[in-house]
Amino acid sequence: MKSLIFFILILTSFFNDVLAQDCEQIVSNCESLLNKNTSGAKFVSDGQVYSAFLNREKAEFKTTFFGGSVYRIAASAGSDENYVIFTVKDVNGNILFSNRNYKNAPYWDFDIRETLEVAIETELDLDLKVTGCAVMLIGFKK
Amino acid sequence: MPSEQSKMKKKLFTLLFFFGALLALISCEDTQQEKNTVDQEVFDPNSRITGRFDNRLFSIPSPVQTSYLLKRLEIDFETTLLNDVKNVNDYITETKQALNLGVYGADLGYTSLYDQKATSIKYLSSIKKLSSQLGLDVAFDTSFYNRFKNEGADGDSMILLMAEAFKRADFFLKESQRKSVTALILTGGWIESLHFACELEKKNSSPEIRRRIGEQKRSLASVVEILQEHNEDRSNDGLIENLIDLKASFENIQSKYTYAAPETDSENRLTIFNHDLEVILEDNLLKEIHEKVKKIRNEIITA
Repeated sequence: MKSLIFFILILTSFFNDVLAQDCEQIVSNCESLLNKNTSGAKFVSDGQVYSAFLNREKAEFKTTFFGGSVYRIAASAGSDENYVIFTVKDVNGNILFSNRNYKNAPYWDFDIRETLEVAIETELDLDLKVTGCAVMLIGFKK
Repeated sequence: MPSEQSKMKKKLFTLLFFFGALLALISCEDTQQEKNTVDQEVFDPNSRITGRFDNRLFSIPSPVQTSYLLKRLEIDFETTLLNDVKNVNDYITETKQALNLGVYGADLGYTSLYDQKATSIKYLSSIKKLSSQLGLDVAFDTSFYNRFKNEGADGDSMILLMAEAFKRADFFLKESQRKSVTALILTGGWIESLHFACELEKKNSSPEIRRRIGEQKRSLASVVEILQEHNEDRSNDGLIENLIDLKASFENIQSKYTYAAPETDSENRLTIFNHDLEVILEDNLLKEIHEKVKKIRNEIITA
C-alpha cells in the first residue's frame, strides 16, 4: 500500500512538472508576442502573468485600462499562435472585441482614450486544442 | 495534426511507461497488506493540478502608470513621497517584506521615469535586499542588476527592465504556490502609486490626477479580492479591513459610463475604444480617501 501511495505521489508530481514545463514554455511564447511588430516605444508589461489550466472552460478576470495609453493583450497556449480566444467586455457585458473574429489573432492592440473597466475572458479554441495551459500578458505604452 | 498534439502524445507515452514500470515494481513487492487509510486528496489526481492552476485570476494595474501620468502632466519630482531606503532593514516578516517590495518597486518606477539615476540605484539596492529575503533571486538576478546599472541609460529602458523582473517574480511565485506573496507585492505597489496621486493632487490641484484617483475603484476591488483569496493564515486581516473601509469611500465616487461602438483596424491589429466615462470626485470625499490612503500606507511602511 505504501508503494501505491508513493507511486501516486510521484505520478501526480510528474504530471504537475509536465504541466509546469508546458506553461513555462508558453509564457516564453507569449512574451515574444508582447512586442511583436511594434513600432516606436515597447509595451511595458503590467508585471503579471495570467495563466490558467483550461479544460473546456473559460477563465475571466477584470481590470482597468487607463485613458491615454495603448494596451496590448497577448495570448498563447502552445507553439501554434491561434489556440486562444480572448474577448473583452465592458461593465455592461457589451462585447468590445474578440479575436475570434480575426482568426484568433494571438495579440491585439487597444487605443484607450478614456479609462475603461473591462472583463477579459479567455478560452481555448476547442477545434484546435481541448485542454492545456493558457497564458495571457498585458502591456501598455504611452 | 497540430504539433502540440504529438507533443502531448509523447508525454502521455512517457507517462504510461512510467506507470507500467512502477506497477511492475509494486507487483514484485512482498504481499504485506497494510490497512492504512489514505487521504482522499492523495487519490484525486486533480487535487494537486488544480492547486497549481486554480483559474481564479486577478489583475492589478501597474503602479508605473500613475508615474507616467505625473510625468506627462509635468509635475515636479518629489523625493519626500518615497519610502526611505533606510527602512528596508526593519522589515523582518515575509508580509512586510512583500508589501514593501511592491512599495519600493513603485518608488523605483517613479525615480526611473524622472531620470533620478542616483536615487534609483539606492532603491534598486532595497529591492535587491527584499527580493533576496523573499527567495526571488531567480527574477531579480545579477543580470537584471547589471543591466539596470549599466544599460539603463534612460527612464523608459529602466521601466522595461523593472517590469520584466516583476513579471518573472509574479510567475515564479504563482508556480511555487506562493500567491499570497504576489498578492502582497501587488498591493504594496498599488497603494504607493495611490499615495503619489493623493499627495500630488493635494499639492497641485490637478483635475487629471483627481480623475485618476477616482478611476481606481475596480483596482481596489481586485486588491481586496486577491488578498482575501490568499489569506489562509489570517495575517492580512487588518490590512483587508482597512482596504474594505477605503473601498466604502470609493463606492461614493460617481461615475457614468456611456457605451459607443469601437472601431477596428484589422490590418494593424488595433481597436480604438470610443466610449465616454465621467468621474465625479467631490472635495470632501477626496480628502476622506486621502486620509485613509495615508493611514494604510503608513501602516505598510512602518515596521
